[in-house]
Amino acid sequence: MKRVLLLALVLSGCAKRDRIVVGAKNFTESDLLAEIVAQHIERRTGLPVERRLHLGGTFVCDRAIKAGQIDLYVEYTGTAFTAILKQSPIADPDSVYRFVAAEYASRFQLHWTAPLGFNNTFAVLVRHADAQRFGLRSIADLGRVAPRWKAGFGYEFLERADGFAGLARLYGLTFSQPPTAMDLGLTYRALADRRVDVIAGNSTDGQIPALDLVALIDDRGYFPPYQAAPVVRAAVLEKNPAVRAALAELGGKISDAEMRRLNALADVEHKDITEIARAWLAERLP
Amino acid sequence: MWLLLGQHIGLVAISTAIAALIGLPLGVLVARRAAWRRPVLGLANVFQTIPSLALFGLLIPVFGIGAWTAISALVVYALLPIVRNTYVGITGVDPAVREAGRGMGMTEGELLRLVELPLAAGVILTGVRIATVVSVGIATIAAAIGAGGLGVYIFRGVATVDNTLILAGAVPAALLALLADAVLGFVERRLVWRQR
Repeated sequence: MKRVLLLALVLSGCAKRDRIVVGAKNFTESDLLAEIVAQHIERRTGLPVERRLHLGGTFVCDRAIKAGQIDLYVEYTGTAFTAILKQSPIADPDSVYRFVAAEYASRFQLHWTAPLGFNNTFAVLVRHADAQRFGLRSIADLGRVAPRWKAGFGYEFLERADGFAGLARLYGLTFSQPPTAMDLGLTYRALADRRVDVIAGNSTDGQIPALDLVALIDDRGYFPPYQAAPVVRAAVLEKNPAVRAALAELGGKISDAEMRRLNALADVEHKDITEIARAWLAERLP
Repeated sequence: MWLLLGQHIGLVAISTAIAALIGLPLGVLVARRAAWRRPVLGLANVFQTIPSLALFGLLIPVFGIGAWTAISALVVYALLPIVRNTYVGITGVDPAVREAGRGMGMTEGELLRLVELPLAAGVILTGVRIATVVSVGIATIAAAIGAGGLGVYIFRGVATVDNTLILAGAVPAALLALLADAVLGFVERRLVWRQR
């Protein structure tokens, strides 16, 4: 009886596994990367790929892939390290990647493929005009003006081990009032509308040039590395070696500047992400 | 915990009160003037469909960040049930009763105050009750704009992949909604009972 049940399970699994389901978190870069990965798998393997884009953040993607609802999504090493595996942040990119890959493989049967190349770290952002007026280049410079300024941060940045509390401690930052906790996307709006003076965004965001913002340099190396790489269910790779080969091809292909440019195409020029992905793949991986 | 719960109740109470202050006269207006019905109810319907984050984005330039933006968004969402139920309640009053009032020499104002509003009170209160219960849920989004409330736990939980934190916000919010529903339901029944 047990054996029959097992066989039925395996068979139903086979029937469903004819397609690859790609997920993404709820921001442009994640959607874009998922689309690039999806199109690349389609081109190289001929397998049908289903897109489940713009899911609700790290939390939802993590739950979805562990439940087998999606087969892969692009995750960031620093995020997996601190938010999922609950480790205290460390600075060396390679050890973070190795640790995360090993833990994911043994605990969740999830495989980290080669990093895509860029590092999307937190960026402490101010308005360009303010940066010029007060001569701000690095986060250390921010300490001088912070007591008169207001800050607004996303919940993730306020809560995470590699977020605001440690940053404020390392750089000795105190603002005129405790930072306002708000939705990450709305912090850009609040900064542009001068409702707050400092926010923390992502360093590859297309909004940074579009809203004329400046990212302050993390001169004391506080933020851990956030290398982006596809995380795939190990079972999927075993069944489809071609998927593994296709993903390996994407390794190291997207630089910081390249990612910022792609994000700006979507966020600032409002180009369709399917088109952006197609054009980029045609140019870089013909 | 108590601070966030207090903030949450404050957001809901203030916004529902404002929505009732705006919604009641609007409901009476559309019940009186048929021409206004479509534009007013249509607009309230449209408001209902705007995603809350988008609405906050639109409101930041006007109200900044914090409680007032959240309250104004909640008012916008609470308007529809209140306006519509006021309209339905008043137009549902038996024309014969209204004629009897007129026959007794009542003015339009007296007719509204002494006949129509008391008879429609049950239906209107149902509208307020729906608005309140819906607001308790929507007010969790206020945390997206720095306005506090129980949504803070939910947002923190989502950001840190922590089920316990999410439940710490979601469960009290659900209980609050049930409590508000029960209390307003009780008031409603008392009102209807008194009329009999």
